[in-house]
Amino acid sequence: MSTVQADILIVGAGAYGLSCAWWMAKRRSGARIVVVDEGEFASGASGRNGAGFRMQWGLELNIRLCQESVAFFETAAEQLDYPRGIELKQDGYLVLAHSDKALAALDASLEVQHRHGVPSELLSAEDCIRMVPSLGRERLVGGTFCGKDGSVSPFRLLDGLLRACRRENVEIRYGTRIEGLKKRGSTFRALTRDGVIEAERVLLCTDWAVPQLTGPLGIDVPVNSLPKEAIVTVPCAPRIRPILISLEHHISVNQVDRGSIIFVVSRPREGTTLESTPDFLGFAAPKIVDLLPGVADVPVLRTWGGVSSLTPDMQPILGETEVEGLYVAVSSFRGLMTSPAVGRIMSALVLDGDTNDPVLAKLGPRRFATGDLIMEPLLNQA
Amino acid sequence: MAAALEACARGSQVTVIDEAALPGGQIYRQAQPALNGIDHAEPAELARKHALLDQFANIAGQVDYRAGATAYALFANGELHVATGDATEVLRPDAIVLATGVRELALPFPGWTLPGVMFAGGAQAILKSQRVLPGRAMVIGGCGPLPVVVAAQMIRAGATVAALANLHPLGAMLRTPAGLWHGRRIVLEGLRYAATVLRARVPRLNGFVPIRAIGSDQLEAVVLARVDDQGRPVDGTKREVACDVLAVNYGFVANSELAAMAGARMRRDPVAGGWLPEVDGFGRSSVPKLFVAGDGGGLRGALVAECEGRIVGAAAAAPLRADGDAALSTELADLLQERRRHLEFQKVVRRTLRLPAALWRIARDDTVVCRCESVSLAEVCSALDNGQSSLNAIKRNVRAGMGWCGGRICLPAVAALTELRSGSPPATMMTPRPMARPVSFAALARRQTAGMP
Repeated sequence: MSTVQADILIVGAGAYGLSCAWWMAKRRSGARIVVVDEGEFASGASGRNGAGFRMQWGLELNIRLCQESVAFFETAAEQLDYPRGIELKQDGYLVLAHSDKALAALDASLEVQHRHGVPSELLSAEDCIRMVPSLGRERLVGGTFCGKDGSVSPFRLLDGLLRACRRENVEIRYGTRIEGLKKRGSTFRALTRDGVIEAERVLLCTDWAVPQLTGPLGIDVPVNSLPKEAIVTVPCAPRIRPILISLEHHISVNQVDRGSIIFVVSRPREGTTLESTPDFLGFAAPKIVDLLPGVADVPVLRTWGGVSSLTPDMQPILGETEVEGLYVAVSSFRGLMTSPAVGRIMSALVLDGDTNDPVLAKLGPRRFATGDLIMEPLLNQA
Repeated sequence: MAAALEACARGSQVTVIDEAALPGGQIYRQAQPALNGIDHAEPAELARKHALLDQFANIAGQVDYRAGATAYALFANGELHVATGDATEVLRPDAIVLATGVRELALPFPGWTLPGVMFAGGAQAILKSQRVLPGRAMVIGGCGPLPVVVAAQMIRAGATVAALANLHPLGAMLRTPAGLWHGRRIVLEGLRYAATVLRARVPRLNGFVPIRAIGSDQLEAVVLARVDDQGRPVDGTKREVACDVLAVNYGFVANSELAAMAGARMRRDPVAGGWLPEVDGFGRSSVPKLFVAGDGGGLRGALVAECEGRIVGAAAAAPLRADGDAALSTELADLLQERRRHLEFQKVVRRTLRLPAALWRIARDDTVVCRCESVSLAEVCSALDNGQSSLNAIKRNVRAGMGWCGGRICLPAVAALTELRSGSPPATMMTPRPMARPVSFAALARRQTAGMP
């Protein structure tokens, strides 16, 4: 059994964990940062999602987190010194409404978006179909669109972060599970199968699994798991330029540049399984054909499962817990798209106690005890 | 077919899902009915083929045979998802026998993706089903018995074989007469194929492999070289042979994805077909009600496949008995004995299918390993050097195995490169997920509920 000393231990090497590690390493060169992940490269939620990002939210804090992150995505190749790039696609994001009520909610969010300079607009059903002729007309009433929204490759982003972290001497250990976490004096001791990691500060970036580590310490971080399943098609001719999300269907759609179309489908389900479920395709295919009759002929190549996180108010949890030196960063189903901003904010908080960023006051882990929940008007989890 | 025959004879209601348009699989592949022409296989092989096809035709009224049907997913709960034409169906049978066979192993080398370079078994399939020659002047290479068989059949159909390169001289099989004796019938057929090749005065290059395919947009020539024990090309042995088709077979990969998708316990045996479901003597996998017969459980040849199909078909049809398999073993004693004999011969064949490790490095840095996603050998190695050592992690890192074929072509190469680079092969296969084959949304949305008979 070996003992490793670290200044900072980050648990979870997904988008949040690696982004936090990279920002910390840049902020404090020479800091001993260890990142552990019980899986392997991109094996968690960050490698299993639809990879879209959007600034179309109804709350200022989400808009700000995403705006900062989009600016990072636009220059990620240079910032991470990663010439391959992260396959940035910025062909816009179309949020679809299939009822007047849903359209009204979208419309109501435009004002706050415009106040923050998000170039979003309201579209009629005809506008939507002109933009994506594959869409079904039935029940479609319109949507909102922002041309600066888009997607990245989660694999390229994670690989870029991983390589950049290693260049900054961040130690990243895959296949390493934290069996137990204790605090002795001012030092945390994290037990792994291969030994103990001692760290002054610990940041948990395991999203829905955070309670597994905070629970034994008596800390209540209310996060639920939200299983989803995804579909990728064989590459086909370009037919869907923007990313689509349908609030009614609980489906998001992204045709990536190589031609494959990726669908992420939510349905009420419990658990944390990553397996594809037997009844999934029978459930999803009719909904997809209803939403997009124009893709009915496209062959499905593969399905996979993933688990994202969901907090009681559907907002991230960012901050220090009641145990001094123990921090959490829980994405609430938007980890990849907010990871650059969250990495910067958390690095400042963990390394320097910098609480100046306005989102920290709202997203702290203690808000659930005090009842200061913040509801997002644009509620959707697709 | 054999499993269906046996299960049917025991009173089971049998549904056969076949991706092909006609029964027969690869070995007993039938020509399209409208085509004329003769089958160039050995008479004894043809006799076996027609005997089995005739028996299968005789039970046509009793089994639900579905041609052109694709089993695209199998789950641990025993659900088999099948696509036929423009609809899909979920079957929940009392037992499932997977008899999915093998595909050919792809060993990348410079130029292997040029039009004109194909699998030897693929060339044979064109001849068998379409009755056409894939080319005029052919170079045939690889290892094991298939290159000789294909060369003979192509010659009989009128092609010129410009060279036959075999990594392991098949004559070496003669050194194990005991094993050969068990396979004497099939050895005799092999000798007749070899005689055809000899009579045609085909230049035979033992110990040679293709190291480069040349051509601008179509194959024009092949560079062959002798390789040493480790599989490294030997200096000064290169020779260039002009041809329009290069047909290569380096052995086989089991079609074991459905078993793995259902959660069956797997083991790895590269010579026998890579990742294989663990099965007992009656084909039972670790998943209840799931059986495997024939090459899909590990390469064992057509003769084993037929008699094993009967064994597994019988076991799948039999109710589980409290006294274990004693009664089944007694009842199937002759078939079990026959399979043992064939398997003794298969041990001899195995020796001709061993691939020395350095053969996987005949590919250069810029040689494409994963065709679907255009991933080069250098990119795969870069992922390995970046610390990714599992097939799942490599897939996420460079996309090898993420494309149209689902890794069926490239993963053996990626696994071999992993072993070369790190000294040990990947611990597990790439997580198999639906779909085993692509199926359209329209077919998935059109779910038939008629179900089993």
